Amino acid sequence: MIKTIEKYYSPEGLFAYKVTLQDGTIWSVPHSEANRHYQEILEWVADGNTIQEAD
Amino acid sequence: MALSKIDVANMLTGLVPNDNTIRRPNAQPIIINSDMAVAQRGTSFTGVSSGSNFPVDRFEFYPTNLGAYTIIQEALTSGEAYNNGFRTALRIDTTTADASPAATDYAILRTKFEGQDLQLFKKGTANAEKFTLAFWVKSNKTTTGQVNLFDIDNNRLVSGTYTISSANTWEKKVINFPADTTGAFDNNNALSLVVEFFLDGGSNFTGGTAPTAWEAQTNADRNANNFAIGSSTDNDFAMTGVQLEVGEYTSSTLPPFQHESFGDNLARCQRYCQVYKTESAYGMMSPASVNSASAANGIFTFPTYLRAIPSLSTSGSFGLYSGDGGDAVSGIVIDANSDDASRVVCTISGSGFTDNSAAFLRAENDSDAKMTFDAEL
Repeated sequence: MIKTIEKYYSPEGLFAYKVTLQDGTIWSVPHSEANRHYQEILEWVADGNTIQEAD
Repeated sequence: MALSKIDVANMLTGLVPNDNTIRRPNAQPIIINSDMAVAQRGTSFTGVSSGSNFPVDRFEFYPTNLGAYTIIQEALTSGEAYNNGFRTALRIDTTTADASPAATDYAILRTKFEGQDLQLFKKGTANAEKFTLAFWVKSNKTTTGQVNLFDIDNNRLVSGTYTISSANTWEKKVINFPADTTGAFDNNNALSLVVEFFLDGGSNFTGGTAPTAWEAQTNADRNANNFAIGSSTDNDFAMTGVQLEVGEYTSSTLPPFQHESFGDNLARCQRYCQVYKTESAYGMMSPASVNSASAANGIFTFPTYLRAIPSLSTSGSFGLYSGDGGDAVSGIVIDANSDDASRVVCTISGSGFTDNSAAFLRAENDSDAKMTFDAEL
């Protein structure tokens, strides 16, 4: 169950997402179609949620 | 001596391959970690109430708003499963009950497969094969449960049921599923099939009929026989020796379980998850390359190619050390710019380092520090 998602940037651009789950677990998730957590990000956004920009 | 006096039956032992073993088309068990021996993430988790949880590798327990559970890798010391060569099982104990789940709530135990590993079933062709699923199970509940084969590629479902006859006793179940000439599994590394033990669910998943023929997937049919593990804190469910075979077998014709070495089993699990953990408070994690005063890249080259570019979760304390000295690490992030799933680069945040110097990442006075790379389906 995803709580929040934040984008990670490097000088080269967006490269990963910080996904915080309801139980407090944090996943660093690549921008990769084959990754199951990335698929969950797509579903979470499709449900109307918004990814935060990095601080 | 007359031939009839020779005890031919007792001359044969389980060590002699039977005809079904010889005809088995797969060299290794189709289900990975089917003896529950590998548990990279840990062997005991308490208060499990949501999301993706692995009591052992490749077997995922996924509850959603339906009670809370302790899930463990259980060491077996007696019983029929033990007597048949199994030393570990996965076990689920209900610790917070929910006897009246909401419509959308559920609790599922499942294992998942890549389509490219299922082509031997010839699904979606005129030569489609039947499936046989066998497993050892034990529960306090003498009831009937449901297990589904869920074809994700074609959104198709077929089910089988099993009955726990004796409480707290290991029983072996053998379930046959029909062939399906409709809908081939994709031949790639993505999710194609879920073997789904539906352990509890709300009204969205009940009310139908467990389909004994392949059908278009209907949620109401997925838990027509509700095991209801969450209904009482008395409830538990344990399983091991899960075996998926090509073809139709009975308990007497089923090919023997394929026991793997621990090393072979671990290597197959590592396609989906790799956990790096230290054996000491300052154990080494990876070499690193400093790329600014406050950041470095840690390089992880995996012993097994992962299925996909992994996600990363860390727990514990880490430190970065170079010729400049050391500093606690404030963050570790997966870098998706790796060109395949054989290695990844992690961006590490520290301070006071000289650009382009060599370094290493280690645990920082934390013998429990670990990094989990996840490429599960």
